[in-house]
Amino acid sequence: MLEKKPVILVIDDEEAMRDSCCQILLKEGLLTETAEDGSIGLEKVKETKPDLVLVDLKMPGVNGMEVLEKTKEIDPNIITVVITGYATVESAVEAMKKGAYDFLPKPFTPDQLRIIIRRGLERRKLTLETESLRKEKKLIEDSFITMVSHQLRSPLVAIMQYFEVIIGGMVGEVPGKQKEMILKARNRLESLMNLINDWLDVARLDSGQIIDKLKPLSLKKIIKKLIDDMEPLTKDGYISLELGSCSKNDLVQGDEETLEQVFSNLITNAIRYNKPKGRVLITIKENKDFIAVEVQDTGIGIAKDHLPFIFDQFYRVKRGEDQKIKGTGLGLSIAKKIVEAHGGSIQVSSEIGKGSIFTVFLFKGEKDDSKA
Amino acid sequence: MEKNKAKILVIDDDPDFRDAVTPILESALYKVVIASNAEEGKEKIFSEKPDLILLDIMMDSLFDGFSLCHAIKTYKEYKEFKDTPIIFISAVKEKTGSRFMFKGEEQGLVGPDDYIDKPAKPKDLIARIEKLLRK
Repeated sequence: MLEKKPVILVIDDEEAMRDSCCQILLKEGLLTETAEDGSIGLEKVKETKPDLVLVDLKMPGVNGMEVLEKTKEIDPNIITVVITGYATVESAVEAMKKGAYDFLPKPFTPDQLRIIIRRGLERRKLTLETESLRKEKKLIEDSFITMVSHQLRSPLVAIMQYFEVIIGGMVGEVPGKQKEMILKARNRLESLMNLINDWLDVARLDSGQIIDKLKPLSLKKIIKKLIDDMEPLTKDGYISLELGSCSKNDLVQGDEETLEQVFSNLITNAIRYNKPKGRVLITIKENKDFIAVEVQDTGIGIAKDHLPFIFDQFYRVKRGEDQKIKGTGLGLSIAKKIVEAHGGSIQVSSEIGKGSIFTVFLFKGEKDDSKA
Repeated sequence: MEKNKAKILVIDDDPDFRDAVTPILESALYKVVIASNAEEGKEKIFSEKPDLILLDIMMDSLFDGFSLCHAIKTYKEYKEFKDTPIIFISAVKEKTGSRFMFKGEEQGLVGPDDYIDKPAKPKDLIARIEKLLRK
């Protein structure tokens, strides 16, 4: 691979300082960029994607500490080195806390600068190597699950495809009784495929693969979309499915695909276990640190002695023989795993004959203190 | 046979899937040509000049469907076929099979015109094919 020349960004309000740093660095065969204040500096961090940022702590406007913080937000792998004439232990400690890699007190000799830059760039190289190894490892793991998924599903898919062709009458008419049995066989096969899907979801969640990067998401948007998608499910039981009150702030830190799965599961259950002409009401509330989503149904409810176990894998509330069992018994446990992987929690309250309320708590999305 | 119905090339390594999907396509009066891997698919593209391609993603390797699609859409040698609609058909579902890995754009690959999960519902499959052929 072609090695790119490292780029050093020098942010300092003193022109003489910027010039002398650049001269030294250019002689080392490095590329340089300069900025005369913090906000221009941050623009250049975004634009030029430097390997290392040299930043003066005392500057008018956006100061060095802020530059450190924002640089880490833009790209945590950029190495930052602080330069300042006010070298005190306190400011050094604070800078390190804000993510600075090293500290260079003014005045410094060209050699001191060279050593610190060289060390910083070595660190940068290691960080990038670690990052790419991590990505590669993840790719291998993902590929493994993809392969397993493929191997398990392929034969079932082929059988299913034959059924579809036969049922569709594309290879001749199928007599009534035979068609009925093929339909039953297809339904069992469909359950088996759902089970495999759910089981693979569990495998991926357990290996921590699903929650990759959390970003701010609007829960209202996700839930509105799900309500539209699920409208057809409500037809059979004449169930009303609606989004009730919504707090102004509905942003959470989340992964869209998996959170959609959580609410899709809760809403499907709320419809499926409802009474005819029942109601499913979803509300979004806000408290200090969390956004809470309530999914409330007017269904059959869950008895007290079952409640503690409903999030367990394969746990099923036993009902009459005639009750058709749908689903895999993994849905709620998957929902719980996903929510917990987000740092949130899921709760249930229920009354037999009256209905259940499932509440999902998720961290608010705007600020990112969770990593501290 | 109806006049001038379109020709569809099915590239898939699973013989049962090919056998099952053929009657679906024939029921809509399409001409069906099959290939059992990407290599054979390439040859058939040139020799048969299909109007639409149904392409499996994972055949000999994880990505060969994707590579072939990218090649058809962008490489010079396929210039004549760059506007031929391609539909991915795959047994790997979005949620379980990390379809996100295949998001071509992220890896600089040009993706298909449509995507169908296996098993394909006959009506859905036909509807999507019709839609792309009408363009």
